[in-house]
Amino acid sequence: MEHTLHILEHHGYFALMAMVFLEAIGLPIPAAVALVTAGAAAAWKMMGLGYVILWSIVPIVAGDSILYFLGRKSGWGLLGFLCRLSMNPETCILRSAESFYKRGRLTLLFAKFVPGLSAMAAPLSGSMKMRYSQFLRFDAVGTAIYVLSYSLAGFAFSRVLRDIGRLFETVGRTVEWAFALAVLVYVIYRVALYWTHRVYRVVPRAQVEELVQRLNAGEDLIILDVRSHGYYDSSAQRIRGSMRFEPNKFNDAVKSLPKDKLIFLYCT
Amino acid sequence: MLREHGFDAYVIVGGLNAWKNAGLPLETVPNDDLVLLPTFS
Repeated sequence: MEHTLHILEHHGYFALMAMVFLEAIGLPIPAAVALVTAGAAAAWKMMGLGYVILWSIVPIVAGDSILYFLGRKSGWGLLGFLCRLSMNPETCILRSAESFYKRGRLTLLFAKFVPGLSAMAAPLSGSMKMRYSQFLRFDAVGTAIYVLSYSLAGFAFSRVLRDIGRLFETVGRTVEWAFALAVLVYVIYRVALYWTHRVYRVVPRAQVEELVQRLNAGEDLIILDVRSHGYYDSSAQRIRGSMRFEPNKFNDAVKSLPKDKLIFLYCT
Repeated sequence: MLREHGFDAYVIVGGLNAWKNAGLPLETVPNDDLVLLPTFS
């Protein structure tokens, strides 16, 4: 909190705008801390409260709009990228989309208060083809609620801000430890998975040229597409003649494969 | 896992990108294979 106050004191509204904008585009910047601190700075007459609110809302909405258009342009690719770290990327994509769709546009009103959802809401809106005018309305209101909540809290409780700051730091350390533990568990899980399947480390590979030669020679083989997110857009393309193979449904999918043919797998 | 089940399987080096870069034929995914995620439109 002291560090944030120091930055705001020396770089003013520009620093505030930069911090909230960077968080809006998905970077791990503590914009809420910046807003609370700016609110307190306004109470101490170091900044104008109206300007704090205005120059927070505008860059956040701008950042959200960038992510909206990225989501709109990339289709489900961006969500696929964000879900790549998930234990089950395809389930992550399906559940995120269904969950967001069920809650509808109202999600945008409170998304910024929910960790994880705050970074996903804007690109999901784009991917799911929400009209921009509609997105802008709901996002602007949600942003205003977010900015007003934290900045007014900082303004109202400026006298106890330092105590609150220490509390945030303590909670923040706990969250850091919890996050570090979660990362450690994930790493152990991946190492265990790798060790279990290490026998498959040397996976037989084939160059594209070799595959083409076999196809030109008339060999009867099978090409399988194992992508987890390549089948959501109507303009999606795949290798001609290939079939989709869903790793999540391996036991069912494998039943229909003939054992007397060569199988070639591909991903992105 | 496919090899464990007795299939003679190989991975294409470079995947779809390598196939595209080689200028080889692609096809649009048929509607039957598409996974229709919900949209607001």
